[in-house]
Amino acid sequence: MSVITLNPPSSRKYRFSGTQAYCFASAALSILIVGTILLTLLVQSGPILLTGNADIIGTKWNPSDGKFGILPMLFGSVFVMSIAVSIAFPVGLMAAVYIAETRSSKLRRVLKSTLEILAGIPSIVYGLIGVTYLNIWIADLFDLQSGRIILTAGILLGIMILPTFLTLTEDAISAVPVKYRENAKSLGLYRHEVFLSIILPKAKSGIAGAGLLALGRALGETMAVMLVIGSLDRLPSPLLNPLSSGQTITSKLGREVTESAFGSPHFSALVFMGLLLVLITIFLTIASRYLFRQKDQHV
Amino acid sequence: MSERVNIRRVQEKCFAFILRASLALCGGVLVFLLGSIVVKGFGSLSLDFFFTPAKDFGKSGGVIYQILGSLLMVVAAAVLVLPLALGTAIFQISYNARPKIRYVLEQSLYALNAIPSITYGLFGLIFFVNVLNTGISWFVGAVILAIMILPTAILSTYQAMAAIPKTYQENAAALGLTKAQVIRRVTLPQSFHGLVTGLLIGLARAIGETAPIMFIATAFSGVTVPQSLVEPVSTLPTHILELAQQSTDPQALQNAWGASLILVGLVAGFSGLALLIRSRLSSEGRK
Repeated sequence: MSVITLNPPSSRKYRFSGTQAYCFASAALSILIVGTILLTLLVQSGPILLTGNADIIGTKWNPSDGKFGILPMLFGSVFVMSIAVSIAFPVGLMAAVYIAETRSSKLRRVLKSTLEILAGIPSIVYGLIGVTYLNIWIADLFDLQSGRIILTAGILLGIMILPTFLTLTEDAISAVPVKYRENAKSLGLYRHEVFLSIILPKAKSGIAGAGLLALGRALGETMAVMLVIGSLDRLPSPLLNPLSSGQTITSKLGREVTESAFGSPHFSALVFMGLLLVLITIFLTIASRYLFRQKDQHV
Repeated sequence: MSERVNIRRVQEKCFAFILRASLALCGGVLVFLLGSIVVKGFGSLSLDFFFTPAKDFGKSGGVIYQILGSLLMVVAAAVLVLPLALGTAIFQISYNARPKIRYVLEQSLYALNAIPSITYGLFGLIFFVNVLNTGISWFVGAVILAIMILPTAILSTYQAMAAIPKTYQENAAALGLTKAQVIRRVTLPQSFHGLVTGLLIGLARAIGETAPIMFIATAFSGVTVPQSLVEPVSTLPTHILELAQQSTDPQALQNAWGASLILVGLVAGFSGLALLIRSRLSSEGRK
């Protein structure tokens, strides 16, 4: 907001300095990049949207028949994300409450910095952990031939989004002023009552924002999911069976983009899925920004 | 009355137990993750592993060209993103007086940050490799990584610039400096740490990315140091990916863990440097 209002002498007012030109060009290029990405994806998904008989909203994906139903992938993405979220959110929220309500600032600092390390571990390394351990444990646990199933992908993804969700939630809870807690406690409320009736309503939008951001990350995650999901382009049967192999949009893209010829309907269908993914994640991010701003206004 | 109090007590005990259990679960996962990376990784590290090229499709030999390829690509990305991030941040802070443009720019950057990494790869494949016909090239990979870290770099620089006390710029303007001079003499030196920190955080993120570069910039084997801009390189993340797909082969997995530890070490190195520089330079700048 700190635009300098003190103008130089008016003779120079309309001279376009080099610095100014450079800055304008940079800003224009930054906006242009975003536009180009969206436009490129849109243009390339055009062919599949214009051919009428590809059954885009179908359950069958078979490039040799010209059938490109994206429902199995879309369902897979949502299913894996739901499993991840139902693991990460409760655990993350409760751990965040503990960290935020503890009065030891040293413990808090240590935990926060370790969480940042965890958030920095590349997703391919999570994938390796999934392949080496989780995979095999799940297969043993449920007595399956292979542990490359939706459940494994969901659990791994849950572990991956946990640090992000935890840190942001903790920030939201810590931002509730201490005086609210003190007042509530002095009225004789127990800790869980303080949390449920004071902290949670106050930190609600911040926590929701953290949740949406984590959702976006979960949807867009590729490498780890691709390695453990089993890559099967069918809806699981029965539909909500987490023990079957599956496919998400991201794992589909990771596996098949190099196999499809540029410009073919196959490629176009893949790009269309990519475009859907981008639009969903952008929407989630904008929604979470809105919620974070709400938080700032309330507290 | 006493019964009611007892119920609340029990509830509180349960609540406290759940909190502790959740924290313990998080701690357990954390220890397991870091522990397995360190233990498994150290098992396959040796001096040779760092300094020899990969052999037998990664099953034996080391990862020297993977390390060099990764570093080459992220350093190039940082060099590419530096002028763009700097210019955009200065634009936001000094030239952009219209709220509408500010809004569009901010939203664009948040959108850029939200785009899943694999779609960057898809975009690169369409726009550079096919439309501009560059072929598989490490430089295209660097451009894509630069786009990915652009929001981080701009935001960090912008925040450092916004934190400069307004009196600094007003004083400089009062002394008769033009806007461009104020930027060069006051804004830039005072916010330099923000740019460097943003770039390093971006580097830490970029070096671990697999999805954006696996279609457009890398080859698995037979790659050494590139001689031109349009050759593929081999990188640590894509190397780990290939090895992890041969997960039935213990030797391949072993090397994948070694490469992972090096990768995590590089990420931690860049992040650590970013923190160090933030605390160093920002405290010096304010004096």
